[in-house]
Amino acid sequence: MEGSKRLSAIILAVVIALFLVSWIVKGLAISDSGAALWFSVRDAFFITLAAFLTLAILSFLYKDNPYYKFAEHLFVGVSAAYWMCVGFWSTIVGNLFPNISESLSGYFDVPYKGFNPFYFIPLILGIMLLMRLSARAGWMSRWALAWIVGTTSGLNLIRYLRTDFISQVSNTFVPLLVDWKGVGPFFSDLSLSASGQFTMTLANWVIFVGVFTGLIYFFFSKEHKGFFGAASRVGIWVLMITFGASFGYTVMGRVSLLVGRLTYLFRDWLGLIS
Amino acid sequence: MSSVGLIISLFIIGAGLLWLLILSLTGREVERRIVFLFIGLAVSVPLLFNITFSERATPIVLDVFDKLEDLPPGSKVLLSYDYGPSMAPEVEPMSNAFLRHSLAKGHKLYLMALWATGQSLVATAVDSIIKREFPDKVYGEDYVNIGFKAGGTGVLNVIITDFRKMYLTDVDGLDLDSLFIFDGVKSLRDMDVLISIGGGFPGVKEWVLFAGAPGNIPTAGGCAAVSAPLLYPYYPRQLLGLLGGIKGAAEYESELKKRYPRFETMPTPGIKMMGPQTLAHLVVMAFIVIGNISYFISRRKRS
Amino acid sequence: MKLKTLIVLSCMLLGGSVFSAAQEVTDATALTDTAAVAAPRPIADLFARDSENDHGHSLTLSWTISPDDGAGQMNVIGYELYRALSPDGEFELRGKFPFGAASYIDVGAKEKESSQYSPDHTDFYYKVRALTSDPEVFTDSEIFGPVQSYGQWFNTGRIPVLVFVIGFLTTTVILIRRARGGADLFVRRLPGIEAVDEAIGRATEMGKPILYVLGLGTAADIATIASYTILGRVAKKVAEYQTGLIVPCYDPVTMTVAQETVKTAYADAGRPDAYSEDMVYFVTQSQFAYVAAVNGTMLRERPATNIYMGKFFAESLILAETGAFAGSIQISGTDEIAQIPFFVVACDYTLIGEELYAASAYLGREPLLLGSLKAQDYAKAAVILLAIIGFLTMNFGLEGFKELFYISN
Repeated sequence: MEGSKRLSAIILAVVIALFLVSWIVKGLAISDSGAALWFSVRDAFFITLAAFLTLAILSFLYKDNPYYKFAEHLFVGVSAAYWMCVGFWSTIVGNLFPNISESLSGYFDVPYKGFNPFYFIPLILGIMLLMRLSARAGWMSRWALAWIVGTTSGLNLIRYLRTDFISQVSNTFVPLLVDWKGVGPFFSDLSLSASGQFTMTLANWVIFVGVFTGLIYFFFSKEHKGFFGAASRVGIWVLMITFGASFGYTVMGRVSLLVGRLTYLFRDWLGLIS
Repeated sequence: MSSVGLIISLFIIGAGLLWLLILSLTGREVERRIVFLFIGLAVSVPLLFNITFSERATPIVLDVFDKLEDLPPGSKVLLSYDYGPSMAPEVEPMSNAFLRHSLAKGHKLYLMALWATGQSLVATAVDSIIKREFPDKVYGEDYVNIGFKAGGTGVLNVIITDFRKMYLTDVDGLDLDSLFIFDGVKSLRDMDVLISIGGGFPGVKEWVLFAGAPGNIPTAGGCAAVSAPLLYPYYPRQLLGLLGGIKGAAEYESELKKRYPRFETMPTPGIKMMGPQTLAHLVVMAFIVIGNISYFISRRKRS
Repeated sequence: MKLKTLIVLSCMLLGGSVFSAAQEVTDATALTDTAAVAAPRPIADLFARDSENDHGHSLTLSWTISPDDGAGQMNVIGYELYRALSPDGEFELRGKFPFGAASYIDVGAKEKESSQYSPDHTDFYYKVRALTSDPEVFTDSEIFGPVQSYGQWFNTGRIPVLVFVIGFLTTTVILIRRARGGADLFVRRLPGIEAVDEAIGRATEMGKPILYVLGLGTAADIATIASYTILGRVAKKVAEYQTGLIVPCYDPVTMTVAQETVKTAYADAGRPDAYSEDMVYFVTQSQFAYVAAVNGTMLRERPATNIYMGKFFAESLILAETGAFAGSIQISGTDEIAQIPFFVVACDYTLIGEELYAASAYLGREPLLLGSLKAQDYAKAAVILLAIIGFLTMNFGLEGFKELFYISN
């Protein structure tokens, strides 16, 4: 136990020393480029801190450790405070004050739009939501929640029905034989280009079979036996291929973020690449 | 440098993978940290050697490019920054490419954000790209930044009928009516194309749902790779085109370089990121193969 | 073509002075002594009408382009639209557009205080001016009018949406009423439910607890509501078999409901004494801190089975991977499409999207869920039918059917 404590202290000392060295070296590098002393000290500190936090988070890949925990808690704390400030300045100052009070708008330096009594409705609903904090008046928050759920579903039902349902249904009405001029021309003009007849026809077949079998898979009112069973098995294959594609895209996204972080370390911090 | 770097990277990664294959063939357990180490190597070695591959725009990317290209100069393009710093490495190359393309083509740019974190990214883009690369463009005439407003889809619901009900001023407090660029612009319906760059909520999908579809306004998008598969169903009828992840950004950048000589030397983070990306994908594919081989071997041993 | 674009641009750059100078001249045709450019022929068939399906304050105009636009003398570079309250009144500029334009929607504001205000039920007179590269050479069209704008009560362009809303809501209400009335609505048994039963059995055999994660959703999310029903079922079985149950919660309200659910299930199983408040507990509302805590529980308690049902985000893979690493049987279900792939690869069984609701409706027989599920099934059947008709009509070149789904704005 004593040994592990000593090891932790040594690691901490090394990390602090490296941090300070990096701060000084980076500061000198920035001041070499002609920046004022204060700016180089400040910028070098932020760059080093960002690099330190990146490495602290990445260290979780080795194993859970206090540096990772420090970075994580810092992130959670900062983001909670950040969102609270954003909420205050964008919603209360940005949207509410300009519609209810000229003096408050003036105080916060936002243009006054004119008195609009309708804005007291969201104000009251907002206060009701906060009533959740009280054990006795907690029931009031339910009314505000009901309002939110009700209006959101009303607005979304129409939008989603229109864009995600009606338009998507009509988007699946595609010809299964694109520009069909007969079997002869089909084979003689066969090409694999993305806008070619073969590719387009194949794409339309995939859409037709995919939509048809996918819907059957999610049909719960009938046992999956016989034709239904076969179609739903094709449906699950279509779904799995979709998930595979989605997984692949996610890998790409995550690697991009890693490249972004490493670019920061190599370029902004260490100056290894331009 | 690039080809030597490529050979060195492939050698390091290849030798490591071979070692892993031998380990798994002999039935030894491969620790997960080794997997992490490999991905780290596959990304950082090509990054250090600056390995890039050539890109060619696919139809879904080309459709967005051609739309901006075919619109007459002076058309109104709205660019919404619906992302934060955590998503920036992936989607910022897209927003930068859209910015450069629109301004080079002479379109009027309306910049805004549905994410609070997007507002500062718009400001950064204005300083680092517009002011530096397009010094002749005048704020309030050629481009404007109206910033962020809280409300998500609610904001879209309002500005599709009237900008001024949500935005009285631009981000610096200038009255919209005092800006030449807002002359005769009432709502989103006056825009010639809407482009949303993002990957979360609200993002491209919400722009289609709450602005593009109800207003019959051409809408394009650039999104983080994670959400790309969910947006494909909207193409081509509801979304005129889509840049999915860094690959989409790289394709757009390559098209921009090909068609505009002035962008020959522009920074192309998308294309640069595709080098490490490609090698990382090769490693992941190799892991899948090695994983399956060892799975079948261990299954046979068990039976 | 490029030359024309350049001319248009330079003309635009000349700016307001050009337009204001042009505005002063209201004669039908004006010729100046800078006779470098000949006056173009005017546009024809100018027609204006109220814009359909809107709230008013908007007029739609159309015309036939000047014979000198892209043909003839080729000297038309664009058009300007003017409007006045009487044929001989003062005309004000309403819009400018490049050559080739043959229609325009003149939208005004509905607020009286707005500079763009355009009153309804007021007579307006329009004319279109064909412009040349010389700002003083242009030709005005004949004046069209009077025309009035007014709002419509009903947007006929959205009839398809209305039909679908009424159809879907009516079906849902009828089916919910039938379910409430005790009608036997068939829902097929899902393999995932069997997997849950098996997993509880296995946990009992091993003498290890079951970990149930409700996800990051709030108590109002449908996925979380569906998850409560499944939690109720699991808790009842656990109470019967006397296995342990751990339910770490992300949201305080979700936790309160989960406590009630588990308590009721233990009472239903006839073992209210076995229920303990500590089974369902609150962890934290920070996403990754919650994940870290749940991961710790998995590695310490080594539950025989982990069940993840509800709304999940980026934490899905971290949770499922740790569970797989700890050697637990894992069953998951979520309606977050982006997270399903991660559950599919790391869990033994996954309820995909709607299957989560179906499992809940099957187990709970709750009329609201059952009725909605059945209504969705009807909607799916309708989509399949429409898709087949759509395919057939498209393949026989009958585009009319697809037109029925067109929503104008």
